[in-house]
Amino acid sequence: MSTVIETRRPGVNAWLTLVVCEAKMVVRDTSGLVVPILLPLLILVMSAPSAGDQVVDGGLTALEVYVLPLVLTMVLASIGVINMPSFLAYYRRTGILRRLAVTPASPAMVLVAQVVVSVLQALVGLAVALAVAFLAFGARPPTDLGAAFAVYALAMAAMYAVGMIVAAVAPTPNSAVAIGLITFFALGALGGMFGGSGSLPDAVAAVGERLPFGAAVAALSAAWVGAAVDPAHLISLGVATVIGVATAALLFRWD
Amino acid sequence: MTTEEPAIHAEHLHKRYGDKIAVDDVSLRIDPGEVFGILGTNGAGKTTTVEMIAGLRKPDGGRVTLLGLDPRHDRGKVRQVLGVQLQQAYLHGALTVAELMGLYRSFYPDPRSSGELLELVGLEEKRGVRFEKLSGGQQQRLSIALALAGRPRVLILDELTTGLDPRARRQMWATIEHLRDEGVTIVLVSHAMEEVERLCDRVALLDAGRVLAVEPPAGLVALAGAQNLDDAFVALTGKQLEEAE
Repeated sequence: MSTVIETRRPGVNAWLTLVVCEAKMVVRDTSGLVVPILLPLLILVMSAPSAGDQVVDGGLTALEVYVLPLVLTMVLASIGVINMPSFLAYYRRTGILRRLAVTPASPAMVLVAQVVVSVLQALVGLAVALAVAFLAFGARPPTDLGAAFAVYALAMAAMYAVGMIVAAVAPTPNSAVAIGLITFFALGALGGMFGGSGSLPDAVAAVGERLPFGAAVAALSAAWVGAAVDPAHLISLGVATVIGVATAALLFRWD
Repeated sequence: MTTEEPAIHAEHLHKRYGDKIAVDDVSLRIDPGEVFGILGTNGAGKTTTVEMIAGLRKPDGGRVTLLGLDPRHDRGKVRQVLGVQLQQAYLHGALTVAELMGLYRSFYPDPRSSGELLELVGLEEKRGVRFEKLSGGQQQRLSIALALAGRPRVLILDELTTGLDPRARRQMWATIEHLRDEGVTIVLVSHAMEEVERLCDRVALLDAGRVLAVEPPAGLVALAGAQNLDDAFVALTGKQLEEAE
């Protein structure tokens, strides 16, 4: 009993195993893949035939300026705001996080692994949507590729941060899905998910553009056109990220 | 009592939830290699006590050491030598037995092999089955196997055989005896008399958050002037010990 006990943190192998396990959980939750991958694809396929012919800005079509930014934002928002919180709420509710807390793995590892898997999922959603848009409907890549990529990454952070608030406040897995869906559709509606922000009253549209969904759509659209991204949109996304992370850090419970 | 450093030393533990006192001045000294039972009715404070020992709950008062370490302060070290089976803990539902085994084994530097773990709990045939498709008893056995993955020196088992069929129960007892022979210190939370009588070196009898007695099973019977452990329990607590399950 006198041997020295050392602290040994789980190594790379444990992290990889956990990420693979989380990925399997996500893939096996087939219904959870419908909203992030298929719903945006459906909107793309339905709008692309007409939007692809509609030239709006400097030779770019409505598909590139409006539809693709919207579709890509939907992918991010549905994964970040609906799926990730529902997994975390389920893990907390069923005691999975507590069970991990009595092993050398910290429950925070699960959080990180979920984020990694969500990012991979978002990249798959991005690849599928872009492949369909480019190959089937002749869309062109963003004029300012670097800006588009940076905006996409920032929007991803903002959506996950909003999702962390949902995970922190939802008492049960079902309520996490409900709160996630409501948040998703509210942000989406204000951000122009239903018929574009032009169809909203000016005041509502102005608010929607300050929220993460609307800000992400507007900033991605600017990057696609090659215009300067409005700093106000970037600030909106940044503020959403900070508020989300801070709220989650304050309110998140492991059990 | 030996002069050796105790495997677990709990001193004057207190815990309340709101205005309900769950644990009221519990002190326990558990020796290395001992199989120690914690017996009591529901609400006696058994689970709260072991959760404080495991570092899952912070005591309102008192202190715990496990192999000389503070379970909350020295969390990283304690997790290397402690295996815990929680009373109500679910595992990733969509993962298979083999996948969960791989995951929990990956947390430890020198884990037991999957084959050995599955054999210990009799789940060799269920490798490819998802956790959510296992029966309650099989889920419990898997949870126990995972608690053994890191070759713990101290093992806490909350409700070891509740919900297991008689055959699985006997197999689990044999596993505990095997671990005892390896020198593992085992804390067994139970309300199954037969189990406590067969496995435990000493038993702490808890009632309403307090320790009524700490004795070998036969000592509890003698203390109460009773014929058997069931009667001793009734005599000492004035309560019927409800049947396991």
